[in-house]
Amino acid sequence: MREILYDVFARKNRGDALAHIGYVDAIDDEIARVYAWKTYDEEHWFEMCIVPRSAIIPVNRQEGLFARGRGRG
Amino acid sequence: MADATLRLDALDEEGRAALRRLIVTLADSKRLMGIRYSDWLLGAPSIETGIAAASMAQDEWGHARLLYAMLKDLDLDPLVLEHDRAAAEYASIGALDEPFPDWAAVVAAMVVVDGALSAMLRSFAGGSYEAARGRVPKMLAEEEFHGSLAAAWYRRLASAAEEARTLLAKATQAMLPPALAWLGAADAPAEAMVEAGVVAPAGARLERFRSDVGALLAEAGVDVAAVRPATDWDASRGRTEGAPDEEAVERARGDRNRALFVE
Repeated sequence: MREILYDVFARKNRGDALAHIGYVDAIDDEIARVYAWKTYDEEHWFEMCIVPRSAIIPVNRQEGLFARGRGRG
Repeated sequence: MADATLRLDALDEEGRAALRRLIVTLADSKRLMGIRYSDWLLGAPSIETGIAAASMAQDEWGHARLLYAMLKDLDLDPLVLEHDRAAAEYASIGALDEPFPDWAAVVAAMVVVDGALSAMLRSFAGGSYEAARGRVPKMLAEEEFHGSLAAAWYRRLASAAEEARTLLAKATQAMLPPALAWLGAADAPAEAMVEAGVVAPAGARLERFRSDVGALLAEAGVDVAAVRPATDWDASRGRTEGAPDEEAVERARGDRNRALFVE
């Protein structure tokens, strides 16, 4: 099954900035939600969200971590 | 939610035995579910799936611990039940008696067995027993993620190649009868718990479960309304006949760590 790369963002407290904390590979959004929550469970997060890497549009560095096409799917 | 709070000191011997049976079936099932998840920490379809299985195993053991602790309300020592029973005394749902042979069986168990446990726990949390009202909602919040993973994987396998779909349907069909028998138990101890407002009536529990999982199971070609509960009921334990395999029970009891228990 083809997997999609999702980046994981979270913040510990209301008002904190969302921080990039890692990524997961999953076959769809719903499974990625659970993988992210269960993989990055070292904190009691106030908020966590995931973004398919393919949806991230690089602004100033075309070859960086979030370069177009680095996320599968 | 039930209006009145259950008065434990007003329960007669049969009522206390019925509450004990309900709690032990829940706790033993959670403990065995955790063991079955733990078998897939390695060998799951991906690293992330293995991590999720590890986390769910820990969740289940945490839930088991909280449920066993409720037995103190009945003047029972949870440590004895956790660490000193033979396999034949375990009251876990019969679908957990053997290790899952493949990932399709794990997914089926997530939906059918974990789903039945959550259905009973929802009823328990909304009933008259104060400890359940206080402790079970957190378990159900953690189970929300198990349910999401279960549904997503179930859909994925149901729409995959014929071999995966066949394995999924076969495992689902095998697990439903013992799970339905437990969730829909209506013998005297089960009815005593309904009378006391501890849980909803058997029919309502079954209806809710069938409604929750019916559409999902249909994707693998399983008609939950057509599956009949198992009839080999053991009223003394509140489960179908049989017992978990000895190796799983040794792990559940912590036989290899007895000298190291820190309780």
